[in-house]
Amino acid sequence: MPKPSDLLQGTLDLLILKTLSRGPLHGWAVAKRIQQLSDDVLSVQQGSLYPALHRLEQQGWITAEWKDTEFGRSAKVYSLTREGRRQLARELDNWARLSSAVQLLLQRA
Amino acid sequence: MRRRIRILAQRLRSIFRKDQMDAELHEELAFHFARLVEESIESGVGPAEARRRARRLMGNTAAFAEECRDQRRVGWLHDFYHDLRYGARMLRKTPGLTAVAVASLALGVGANTAILGAVDHVLFGQIALPDADRLVVIRTYPLDNPQQNNNASVPDYLAWEKQNRSFEALGASLNNQQDFGADESGASAERLAGQHVTPSLFKVLGVEPILGRVFAPDEGGVDNPVRVIVLSYRVWQRRFGGDPGILQRKVRFGGENWSVIGVMPPGFHYPHETSDYWLPLTFNRPQLQGSARYFMVTGRLKNDVTIGQAQLEMEAIASRLAQDFPSWHGGWGVRVQSLRDAWFGWTRQPLAVLEGAVILVMLIACANVATLLLARNSARRAEFAMRAALGATRGRTVRQLLAESMLLSALGGAAGLILAQFGLNALEAMTAPPGAARIGDLSLNYRVVGLTAACSILTGLMFGIAPAIAGMRSRNLAKNASARGCRQRVRGVLVAAQIGLALMLLVGSGLLIHSFVRLVGTERNFDPDGILSFDFRIPIQQYLNGVGSYRGFPASDVSPPTLVLQRIYERLRLLPGAESVAGASFPPVDSLVVPSMRIKLEGRNPDEASAAYFLVTPDLFRTMKTPLVKGRDIGSGDTAATPWVAVVNETAARRFWPGEDPIGKRLTLDALSGERSREVVGVARDVPLAYAHAQSDPVVYVSYLQQPARYYGHLANMFGQMTFLVRAKGDPLKFAASAGHAVAEIEPDRPIANVHVMNRYGGDFVRDRGRRAIVVGVFALTATLLAAIGVYGVMAYSVAQRANEIGVRLALGAGARCIAYLIGRQALLLIAAGVVLGLAGAAALMRLIASQLWGVTPTDPTTFAAVTALLTVVALCACIIPLRRALRVDPAATLRSQ
Repeated sequence: MPKPSDLLQGTLDLLILKTLSRGPLHGWAVAKRIQQLSDDVLSVQQGSLYPALHRLEQQGWITAEWKDTEFGRSAKVYSLTREGRRQLARELDNWARLSSAVQLLLQRA
Repeated sequence: MRRRIRILAQRLRSIFRKDQMDAELHEELAFHFARLVEESIESGVGPAEARRRARRLMGNTAAFAEECRDQRRVGWLHDFYHDLRYGARMLRKTPGLTAVAVASLALGVGANTAILGAVDHVLFGQIALPDADRLVVIRTYPLDNPQQNNNASVPDYLAWEKQNRSFEALGASLNNQQDFGADESGASAERLAGQHVTPSLFKVLGVEPILGRVFAPDEGGVDNPVRVIVLSYRVWQRRFGGDPGILQRKVRFGGENWSVIGVMPPGFHYPHETSDYWLPLTFNRPQLQGSARYFMVTGRLKNDVTIGQAQLEMEAIASRLAQDFPSWHGGWGVRVQSLRDAWFGWTRQPLAVLEGAVILVMLIACANVATLLLARNSARRAEFAMRAALGATRGRTVRQLLAESMLLSALGGAAGLILAQFGLNALEAMTAPPGAARIGDLSLNYRVVGLTAACSILTGLMFGIAPAIAGMRSRNLAKNASARGCRQRVRGVLVAAQIGLALMLLVGSGLLIHSFVRLVGTERNFDPDGILSFDFRIPIQQYLNGVGSYRGFPASDVSPPTLVLQRIYERLRLLPGAESVAGASFPPVDSLVVPSMRIKLEGRNPDEASAAYFLVTPDLFRTMKTPLVKGRDIGSGDTAATPWVAVVNETAARRFWPGEDPIGKRLTLDALSGERSREVVGVARDVPLAYAHAQSDPVVYVSYLQQPARYYGHLANMFGQMTFLVRAKGDPLKFAASAGHAVAEIEPDRPIANVHVMNRYGGDFVRDRGRRAIVVGVFALTATLLAAIGVYGVMAYSVAQRANEIGVRLALGAGARCIAYLIGRQALLLIAAGVVLGLAGAAALMRLIASQLWGVTPTDPTTFAAVTALLTVVALCACIIPLRRALRVDPAATLRSQ
């Protein structure tokens, strides 16, 4: 199982944005969702997740508010902003280009 | 856009809600932790074990919480805040260093700000005239002495006005002083300054009166004097109580009734701050052909014409005029200056000298603070190494050091702002030369405060950069030995530079002070203490009738009001407490008198000479306490009926009759009919015509009673005026009132004017020079002190570094003399390097202040030698304590520690 630091630079941002595109989540849920959706292949460490969330928040792609949760205490819940959606589209584009390029290389080399 | 707003909101929140955000971060991570624990418990692990696992999974919370905080991008601000607090603690720990640094920076920044503030005002300050940047003053100068600045003659003005295409309009003005008679509103008689102006001048300036009108074009015709006057707002308010009916009134002006036709707006005093009324300038016939250059010409440039273009056109006109009318215009050039330049150009030299001095002080202060910080930082080597070990980056260390420098410079800047206010007040008081404007009111405006801030940031960087770089280097303890050697060399260079700069300043101030001492110490051959001086005048129209012209000057029949002058003189002599009273046609010193009166010397070849010329009452020399070298004073027995006599000064005696006894020689003034031959009866010591004169001029004194009835020349007013000198017991100013009353008994309509106590140092010119010399002197002493501190610092450090070496040498049998030689050689090398640097710099720079010197050359060897000796002695004194420390090194202790 690759460590998050092995993820390509910027990939974590893409994963978080994509995860949040379905609806608002708190940090714990974001980590869980990434793990589930990747069939436990990707596991995001807290040490990377939270700085990334804060960076995205500071950059205005996501916004946060405190909400009550089913666990009986309130949590900081992140959601995508309109600009964040556009940013996600851009990053998906980039990713598609990058992965197809990598694919090509692996086939031809 | 919305994203930017969101980011901005985030940043602001990060700055101002830091605690809340930190709490939220903590809560967020705690939530995550709680979820991890619960997850473990759900999978069947005990609570204690679950917490342990969760903690392991979370990893180094503190580290990534810090990483989260870093995402806020305002960390540097908080770091900066901490740097400042830490810096403040460091500065408090070394109060001596801090005080020296802040004081020298304050002086530099304060003086710099004040001077730049004045420059700012002079270059960019408001001139209260519409579109003032298009206003120019047109002057003339003799081609063989281009530095001279003359005004224009009437033929100049008329030709320029007719031929130019560069100006929308030209106007001429002429200085005037006149007595306003006692007024029905209760104002007493007083003399005011005003201007004769051509009607076009107001058009040139573009200023409208607030009441009435200005002059109509036909009110400025040739030989068409009309008695109309325009008043300044100030005089209208003060003398006439702001009377709205002033236009219907006549005012007593020069003993006649004049109609007030207008009042100018508040603050309008063209061309001088003292101008309080305006009269039509009516040229008379002789002036039309005259070459006297008295008239100030002001022009307004057309919108598409630059000063350079106007200058070219005026030069063409001037050379054409010189060809066509060589007797009027030949040998004269023309100069177009902006009004701003004409008013404030005189400030350039003194401000440049002061700014030069300040820049030197600033450089020294920066070098000094840099060396002090370097020394302190080498004591902090361990701290920097520790910081590096704990993970501080290079940038972080440099930032810490720069924050400390900035803190110092900010403190210096704040104190400098206070000093700047004093500096501005002092600069305001600088006296403008005749014809130019005072600097005006200077205050700390936002530009000046901005300058101060810029200055202190700049200095902070200047003295902070070297220590910061050195600090960066010393992060590695192992490399420290070599870094130390390098730093010591840097400090040596910095200190030598300080000595050099200080020496340059010392030379400059030495020259200024030397020249001031010359100026003050010049023997003036009179004792001004206790003399009250005031002027009295009867208008020229009342005793002069034009009768054509002679040698280009108007010739006039004179019937001098000698009786009035005589009665006043006699009345003043009766004043109780007056020891002695005398009068002269002009103030004996610093009047406009020049040695231009033609004199015929009988029985000598060539028989023509020229001298300055005074009409005087008896007792002038006794009152001034001017020694008579030979013969007698003009006495009360010398009247129009007795043989005419003259007293000459020593210079006249020496030049006119070299090697002969002047007593009994005869001279005649080159005047019209009625002048008689005069016998020289006395020789007086030289009283300089002006305080600023280094040389003496020939002067002839004659009795005011022995005068011809016909006169030509431009000083016809001397027959109706007298400057009275009263030598009194006690404070002479207390005499002013009774003297005024005494004159009013005889002439109620005519005030006494220019009442003042005579001054040994001759007023504003000398006073300004003195102040400037003192200011530069204070800078120079400060610089010397700073340089001495620098020398002390570097020597003390060096001795501390070499304590072991010295101890070993002592242990091996070296004597005190040997140690003194060791330390002394280093000090002398340092000082010598600085002195050579300074002397070379001074020799190169002092030419620039030549025009500020009086009676001293810019390379005056005495001054150079004296200040070099002074600086060397001070610098050597700074080495005494380090030297004594070196001699006290205990060899036994050194050996034990090795």
